[in-house]
Amino acid sequence: MQKRSVLVLAFLAPAILPGLACGRSRPPAAPAEQVFRFRLHEDPPTVDPALASDQFSEAVILNVNRGLVELDPQTLEVRPAVAASWTISPDGRTYTFQLRDGAVFHNGRKVAADDVGYSFMRLLKQETNSPRRFLLEPIEGAREFTDGKSASIDGLLTPDERTVVLRLTKPFAPFLSQLTMANAAILPREVYDDPQKAYLRAPSGCGPFRFSRWEQANFIELVAFDGYYGGRPALDRVVIRMIENATSALQEYLAGGLDSLDETPEETDAAMQARLGGEIHRYPFIGTGYIGFNMALAPFKGNAALRQALNYAVDKEYLWGVLLPGNQPANGIIPPGIPGHDPALPGYPHDEAKARSLMARAGYPAGKGLQPIALWVNTGEDNRKIAEQVQSDLKKIGVTIIVREVDWAAYISGVSGTQDKPGQAQMFRFGWYLDYPDADAILRPLLHSSNWGPAGNFGRYRNAEVDALIDAALDTADAERRADLYRRAERIAVMEDPPWIFLSYYQSKTLYKPYVKGVVLSPLGEFRLPLERLKIERGAT
Amino acid sequence: MPVLLLAAAIVWVFVFFLPGDPARLIAGGASADPGVLESIRQEWGLDRPAPVQFFHYLGKLVRFDLGTSYVQRRPVAAIIADHFPPTFILAVAAVLLAAGGGLILGSLAALYRGRLVDSLVLGLALLGTSLPVFWLGLILMLLFASGLEWLPVLGYGMDGAFLPFTSIRLPEWDHLVLPAVTLSLVSMGAIARITRASLIEAGTAEFLQTARAKGASRARVFARHTLQNALIPVVTVIGLDFAGLLGGAVATEYVFSWPGLGKTIVRAIGLRDLPVVEGGVLFLTAIFVLVSLAVDLAYLYLDPRVHYTHVG
Repeated sequence: MQKRSVLVLAFLAPAILPGLACGRSRPPAAPAEQVFRFRLHEDPPTVDPALASDQFSEAVILNVNRGLVELDPQTLEVRPAVAASWTISPDGRTYTFQLRDGAVFHNGRKVAADDVGYSFMRLLKQETNSPRRFLLEPIEGAREFTDGKSASIDGLLTPDERTVVLRLTKPFAPFLSQLTMANAAILPREVYDDPQKAYLRAPSGCGPFRFSRWEQANFIELVAFDGYYGGRPALDRVVIRMIENATSALQEYLAGGLDSLDETPEETDAAMQARLGGEIHRYPFIGTGYIGFNMALAPFKGNAALRQALNYAVDKEYLWGVLLPGNQPANGIIPPGIPGHDPALPGYPHDEAKARSLMARAGYPAGKGLQPIALWVNTGEDNRKIAEQVQSDLKKIGVTIIVREVDWAAYISGVSGTQDKPGQAQMFRFGWYLDYPDADAILRPLLHSSNWGPAGNFGRYRNAEVDALIDAALDTADAERRADLYRRAERIAVMEDPPWIFLSYYQSKTLYKPYVKGVVLSPLGEFRLPLERLKIERGAT
Repeated sequence: MPVLLLAAAIVWVFVFFLPGDPARLIAGGASADPGVLESIRQEWGLDRPAPVQFFHYLGKLVRFDLGTSYVQRRPVAAIIADHFPPTFILAVAAVLLAAGGGLILGSLAALYRGRLVDSLVLGLALLGTSLPVFWLGLILMLLFASGLEWLPVLGYGMDGAFLPFTSIRLPEWDHLVLPAVTLSLVSMGAIARITRASLIEAGTAEFLQTARAKGASRARVFARHTLQNALIPVVTVIGLDFAGLLGGAVATEYVFSWPGLGKTIVRAIGLRDLPVVEGGVLFLTAIFVLVSLAVDLAYLYLDPRVHYTHVG
């Protein structure tokens, strides 16, 4: 250790001193070069599709890699990607994909059916430890393969170079949507079998952009891939810059160092709002914010009236209209834009009188006999504001809230607990964005009793009717009938047995320079912007 | 070496008792498959009893193996090698500015003691030491980058040259100015004050009269006798400042998006990337020890009375 640091010191000292004095300016970029620069708060934790489980990682992977199918960022429909077409058998169990002819990996090799097999087995393999292997678990024999009981996957067949057949254990309606996720990307074996794991720093795939450089805590650079099956993108380069501090990032955007920013100036900053006017975009994002109740602990265990009372007591209109303008007050669980969203759901509009009478029915008239309740939030200014507002709203009906603000890692442990032991948090502020646009992607992980505890259902909600409806929707192929089943499940969970205080449906707030053309304001969020559609037209502004 | 071992043990204990489960974050955070969680714990040895984990860690340490990052899945040494150069460059630039500025201002204040210049320097020094660096950085950014557009707003730049024979990329130099000035202003005040105080104290010493009586010129007396004697405490302050800056100037790195080691360690704490936290802190401890040693050795040149002899 000591030896190493001496070496570094000795090396650097002579080189820096003269450099400091002379300075050095950047050569101007060729005017014709098309470069798009956007900001992430910090480095993506990983760029390995199998390991990704967050938006930042997906922001890179979805531009470098492609799967069999992808989502249209506007309509949210599943459309062809590496697969040119597919058929689903009448029993809903067998999916047959025809691969397109022109798909090529960044190293020049053609994508073949075997590559799909390799990539899916890699995702499911025990050693990969993928947090998202559940995506492929509906395939027959997938679990046996993961557990090492079988060397192959029964339901994964590649009858010829261009055909992939996936046979499911039973019909699973959101399967195709799940295949659009970054984790199901198709990877070149020759790169991902590397024992040195160079792919962790230099990923490869068959997407529109090649991975070029990554300097940790500084930037990631992608360059256009000439051989992309959809045609070479108009952008020559994409630069993803890591900038943690929001104020600094906004200054960099204003100075012209960023073409887009996932952060907009404060609503109260009228001058800035006026200056940026046309560059501020607000649009729905498929996610829901809420405060969860821990239903394994007192006082919420078995007391639906108390949970309803708290819902009526929180003034959501004030929260999202005045305190933190932007989000849409929520009346339920399934956000707008997702089949099953129910605009007619009454929800819990602010009503203090109703809240008081429900408190009495819950056994705590005017809060008498109720111990102070711990509300956990993870560190963040907005979270603090929300918690303080909820605290003051609930005070009015006699409920004392103690806010506990901790960092994300401590929060997750405190909220989720272990399989057998509930978390310490009695209430917790949480949000969920849907991994794919299907009501199953929010109802099942958060409320189905099979995901009890750390798997996602932190509040340990268990409602047999809700479980049954979510299960029934999984086996239903008909879209309208499915949506109806989800609406029924949501209505029970929201109106009869509320697991949360329903706070908001998310919105994205993004800045784009006017010269960036082809922007799609996608409900999947700013990080799912299809960069291959963008063009820089500086002359046009 | 004992200092480092002690530091290693302390860091390990602190990190071990941090609330939160690293395996949980690797397994996807918000929703985690219990099977995946279990196998991640096995992969990283997190399922073993605490003493076993500790001795395993120490065992690797004595072989100079800092372990592998849970998140980036590459050696901690490689991560330090990536992020220490930016920290080092920034610290050197800041300490040069601070030392230069502090010595000049301090000397001026001592020379014009009790006059306007003196009060101005003392006032500025107080301001520099008491302003929060985060705020100062933003103000400088707004003024010189956003307002006057003389300098880049933030970042390390993408096109700096590589240090010959290494994979270390130097910053684009104009990007270095604002963070270095921000950092230097904080230490400059302290250096100016200590310079002023030592010069005044040395200036009244009796040996100066002797020197003058021997016929030495005013300038020679100042350079050869006053300054040299005054420098010892100044060098101590500069050395300690430098050591502190090498520990990562987290707030400055944060404001200016500087890819330094301090910010990297703070982020690793958030991600519970424990090997990076342990390795990073230990590395910084070693650097601190080395710089302190260098300061002690500098006394040998500055003060002929100082001798280091081996005792026992």
